[in-house]
Amino acid sequence: MSVTREEVLHIARLAELDVAEEALPTLVEQMSRILEYVAQLNRLPTGETARPYLAGPDAIKLRPDEIKPWPMAFGPKQLAPAFRDGFFVVPRLEAFGDGGDE
Amino acid sequence: MTEATDAVQSARAAADRIAKAKRLNALLTPIKDLRKSLVQQAQSAHPGGVLYGMPVAVKDNISTLEFDTSCGSKILEGYQSPFDATAVAKLKAAGALIAGKTNCDEFAMGSSTEHSAYGRTLHPTDKTRVPGGSSGGSAALVAAGAVPAALGSETGGSVRQPASFCGIVGIKPTYGRVSRYGLVAFGSSLDQIGVFGRSVHDAARVLSVISGRDPKDATCEGRDPLRLPTVPENLDGFVIGIPKEYFPQDLDPGVRRACERAIRVLKELGAAVREVSLPHTAYAVPTYYIIAPAEASSNLARYDGVRYGPRFDGTTDVAALYRTTRGQGFGAEVRRRILIGTYVLSSGYYDAYYRKAQQVRALLAQDFRNVFDRGVDLIFTPTTPTPAFKAGEKLADPVQMYLSDIFVCTANLVGLPAMSVPIGRVKGLPVGGQFIGQTFLEDEMLEAAYALERAVPALEEA
Repeated sequence: MSVTREEVLHIARLAELDVAEEALPTLVEQMSRILEYVAQLNRLPTGETARPYLAGPDAIKLRPDEIKPWPMAFGPKQLAPAFRDGFFVVPRLEAFGDGGDE
Repeated sequence: MTEATDAVQSARAAADRIAKAKRLNALLTPIKDLRKSLVQQAQSAHPGGVLYGMPVAVKDNISTLEFDTSCGSKILEGYQSPFDATAVAKLKAAGALIAGKTNCDEFAMGSSTEHSAYGRTLHPTDKTRVPGGSSGGSAALVAAGAVPAALGSETGGSVRQPASFCGIVGIKPTYGRVSRYGLVAFGSSLDQIGVFGRSVHDAARVLSVISGRDPKDATCEGRDPLRLPTVPENLDGFVIGIPKEYFPQDLDPGVRRACERAIRVLKELGAAVREVSLPHTAYAVPTYYIIAPAEASSNLARYDGVRYGPRFDGTTDVAALYRTTRGQGFGAEVRRRILIGTYVLSSGYYDAYYRKAQQVRALLAQDFRNVFDRGVDLIFTPTTPTPAFKAGEKLADPVQMYLSDIFVCTANLVGLPAMSVPIGRVKGLPVGGQFIGQTFLEDEMLEAAYALERAVPALEEA
């Protein structure tokens, strides 16, 4: 498994990491060598359902690795001093106001 | 003479010894600052503590209030932690003196202490060689006799490998035995604080003090501190397994001779020695070099020039600031590992690399369970395939460097306790033998190490 110069630059962007132009050839060569070396794991049959290792005390439970909206304990309505039609009600700015409260 | 005067004298003597070892480049703390701090610490140290007055050096990736915590990196140059790591707080509570911060491979990534932003550490007896790594500064200081003990950290053998190269004792406890609070995270499922000592007893005493529960670290088991075993008369009743996979054909002949002599000593002490098999051993290093960089790429995302350390020029926008700071602040080895880690976690590769590696890790753990379930108490192996190698020898080839950890990284992958004990010399260079114990049974491992240490001619050629 070898990587190209463009792949290294793409990964560097994902990692928020500047890579100097002169360092690129060595980096491409070394990353390719490392990825080829670790790819030997693919020769080892583990089965689709083999359980991955989990470090630490048995009491530690991991949540499923899912992206989902995390609900707030209280909605904005409960947190706001005043809320109407989906908006927070705030004092009107003096400079633009007509003397009203909202 | 009062106890405080004794401790101050001990502190001054330690500072003098550390100053003499300056040529090793093992300590990152300026000696003037260290001397002043050691005396202050000695004046206020707890006289009733079990380590009262004992100077203990601390690897630079473990947070301390007293000294900077740079992790051997430019990106954390001058960083002062606002808190002590739990292990350091426990040392202080036991009366120990924190004897400065030791050089290490940047963010503990390396096997030779050549990847420090502050220059390489020299081997204590042969300056052309490496002391091992990543905790090479701690190992070199202890081996030079500057301090009786030091803290290091282990992600893939970074205490046992340098202990073996420098001819001292190095212990990696069970994952969860010692709190990781204040240990700068590298590979969170692998990291553990470990201990160096000039003797098994010194290392074990320090380990006992820093072990035990800590509500600040959810991965630290709620156990009492480790109780030290007594030194056994013999090893009657012990069953020690010798895994054939740890004695490959290309094992250094001197290391092989030293191990065979140590095994004869274990038998003479009364242990029953059995050949065993850990069939997935060859996959440990590739597994390690997927999991550790993957976790590192996530853990090191926080270093961006905003919250920690110096900010390198990147004024056009915030993304440029991140990229420039990280590109210039991290050294070559850390950059390479972040890129590998990002690659193996990226979309489309996660299952092929990271998930697969976690599955192989489960197979490695099962190998050890199979051996221990058949009545084996401990495993004995060489700690490293060769004695200390020449500086610069493996820098150009990262895979060759990684392979120097082939016998040590498995214990980190499966969370088991392990330690290196000096067992002989090869052409004057120290060689270590490794015990791997069962989860939370460090006491059994220490008993065997006490016995072997007393009986094996560790200073003689094998």
